[in-house]
Amino acid sequence: MATIVNVTQEKALEVKEFEFTYAGADAPSIKKLSMPIAKNSVTALIGPSGCGKTTLLRSFNRIHDLYPGNKYKGEIIFENRNILDHKEDLIHLRTQIGMIFQKPTAFPMSIFDNVAYGLRLQGIKNKTELQDRIQKALQDAAIWNEVKDRLKHDANGLSGGQQQRLCIARAIAVEPEVLLFDEPTSALDPISTAGIEELVVALRERVSIIIVTHNMQQAARVSDYTGFMYLGELVELGRTEELFVTPKEKLTEEYITGKFG
Amino acid sequence: MTHTQKRILMSRVAMTFSTISAVIGIGFLLWILGVLVSNGIDALNTDIFTLEGTPPGYEKGGLKHALIGQLYLVGIAALIGVPLGILAGTFLSEYGQRSKLAEIIRDISDIMMSAPSIVIGAFVYAIVVAPMGHFSGWAGSIALTIIMLPIILRTTDDMLSLVPSTLREAAFALGAPKYKVILQVVYRGAKAGILTGILLGIARVAGETAPLLFTSFNDNFLNTDMMEPMASLTVTMYNYATSPYEDWQKLGWAAAFILSMFILSLNIIGKLFLMKKKGR
Amino acid sequence: MSKIIDTLFANLTKITAFLVLLIVAWIFTVLIDHSMDAIKAFGFDFVLEDKWAPNLEKFGALPAIYGSVVSTFLAMILSVPIAIGVAIFLSEIAHAKLKTPVGVSIELLAAIPSVVYGMWGLFYFVPIIRDIFGGVGISMLSAGIILSIMILPFMAAVTRDSMNTTPDILKESAYALGGTKWDVIKDIIIPYAKAGIIGSFILALGRAIGETMAVTFVMGNVHRISTDLTEPATSIPVTLANEFNEADSELYFSALFELSLLLLVISFTIISVAKFYFLRRKRIGR
Repeated sequence: MATIVNVTQEKALEVKEFEFTYAGADAPSIKKLSMPIAKNSVTALIGPSGCGKTTLLRSFNRIHDLYPGNKYKGEIIFENRNILDHKEDLIHLRTQIGMIFQKPTAFPMSIFDNVAYGLRLQGIKNKTELQDRIQKALQDAAIWNEVKDRLKHDANGLSGGQQQRLCIARAIAVEPEVLLFDEPTSALDPISTAGIEELVVALRERVSIIIVTHNMQQAARVSDYTGFMYLGELVELGRTEELFVTPKEKLTEEYITGKFG
Repeated sequence: MTHTQKRILMSRVAMTFSTISAVIGIGFLLWILGVLVSNGIDALNTDIFTLEGTPPGYEKGGLKHALIGQLYLVGIAALIGVPLGILAGTFLSEYGQRSKLAEIIRDISDIMMSAPSIVIGAFVYAIVVAPMGHFSGWAGSIALTIIMLPIILRTTDDMLSLVPSTLREAAFALGAPKYKVILQVVYRGAKAGILTGILLGIARVAGETAPLLFTSFNDNFLNTDMMEPMASLTVTMYNYATSPYEDWQKLGWAAAFILSMFILSLNIIGKLFLMKKKGR
Repeated sequence: MSKIIDTLFANLTKITAFLVLLIVAWIFTVLIDHSMDAIKAFGFDFVLEDKWAPNLEKFGALPAIYGSVVSTFLAMILSVPIAIGVAIFLSEIAHAKLKTPVGVSIELLAAIPSVVYGMWGLFYFVPIIRDIFGGVGISMLSAGIILSIMILPFMAAVTRDSMNTTPDILKESAYALGGTKWDVIKDIIIPYAKAGIIGSFILALGRAIGETMAVTFVMGNVHRISTDLTEPATSIPVTLANEFNEADSELYFSALFELSLLLLVISFTIISVAKFYFLRRKRIGR
């Protein structure tokens, strides 16, 4: 079985014997996977394409439920409840566990309205409260200075890197406990990528972060813990500096030294 | 009730409304289809294909005159419209490309595709029927050709531009002149698409009634002389359906059924062609 | 030799392409030319006068214009919400197993000739209108409703296609913030697909206003302006379809040609607005 380092600090999430099967598939894409996710840290998920890392990430906010026929088994424990329970309130869950996607997903509306979107969904209408929280979110996402003079402009006028930071602002505006990043820099240039990476590191003070990346250097740069997945299973989870220097599993070593992938 | 609960309720209401409107919309369309099929099959018999029209009151009548007239009108329109449309589409895709002229022709064709067909009928009346002094099959076919031309032109243009330019370049690199590249390489690559365009173009004009009302007019008996007024399924359908005679109304439904099945088949075959092309 | 053929072929295609422009120009010229008598006789009053009396050589197009506008307007207000509902159902609610067959059927229904819709209306729908509202059933209301049913498949199909252009990832982003299905539809999908949807609706409007056969059966061709929708009425294409073969004087013909011209100009304008403001042509291929 997988080698899993002891996560000593408090856990944000705990995955137990988790299985996931896509609609119409015969075999599960994730098999009996168990892993802890440390609170207020960054956990990176790495592994070759098709290893199930994105599938696992998309289970944490149950975005898979948008497409009928997908099946979950096992447990994902969050705040003392199993979020896979069919009684789970998905709308509430998604305000607690936010997500950033592979490509910037600025909505077809102004910069201000983009960040206000999640807040307004929660029923916040008070103008000053909205303004305060939007300013704070944009500041935390390190984009305030670039957009403060054009909040009413269409968000699609921003550059790719700016849009991605706007999406991060939009996600943190609702003050989630956990943020899921699904290869957030795969569509960005190196400078924008560096900006997003800095942001990820800074944000862990406030939220627990899980990041899927195909880029091992990125995992090494931003994460506290790294999990290596292969063929739907977790092979090894360890402190990032240890996993990359002294991997315990042979498969992990072969992957990080570039023997396959 | 919290704000979120309100949103959830609102979402349920909106989804229910959408489903209901889908049921209403689809229900109406099924109703029409059901009426068409049940009345059509009810009226179908072999006489329909072997007998010509009769004066009202006579029991036995058929649609032979209208079926053959329809074939003449649409067939001749296709014989003229298809080659013209393909050549014109070839100009847009292979010669004009993104030039101003080509773009203007594309825009005008797009608009013509949605223009009222009865106006085309009025136009052909003025240039053909009035000078000749009487209605004729030719006038009907010309009206249908004008309607068909922009459809064939635009699909040919679209389908030819889907042929990868590397294919053309490869042929040019072998020293082939442009017309040969087009005739032997480009047309071959776009065969399925062009064929689909032709089928859909024919399907579209086969259902036209308005432009025939005062061009080919109608004839209750078989006529194959294009210089004379000619029966069509659509105008026959209109005349029979608005007549007070039950026999005629029945024949009208038979005509509606035959024509609709013909047009639906062309559309289905066309869609299958395109799907096969995409599948590859 | 092959050089000559090359030039010949190139020019042949060019001439046929020009033919389209030529035909359109020719249509306008002929219609204007044939309208001249009526234009000279009535001037601008043609579109303001509400009396259409061929026996008195008096031709006012206002009732036909009124009928075209009202029946099309009725058709649009009835079919727009239903079309949006069908599109939402097809793109966001229906199970995958239902999506394709229902979607394809709707596309096929758009291909059924309008004369069939008219015939169905006359035999099956007009009696219902008569039973509910009294009168003869042949009316503006019947025309509007049948027109709305006829344009529904086209509108629903294009609305669905526009909505389907919204990237999944954009929808997922809104769900990931805790949006409900309706939140995502109204805040993300509809704004994203807005231009395409509006353009298609205007295009449908342009087609509806020129539609002849679906309404000729059920409108009655009565040149009278009435605010009572259950009264018989007429529209420009209905007038043309009914009277072109009966016209017995130069002026009568000319008035009908002026109506044709009017209809062509109106639909050209509406379709152009749809095309140039909302539906930029997708560039495919090279």
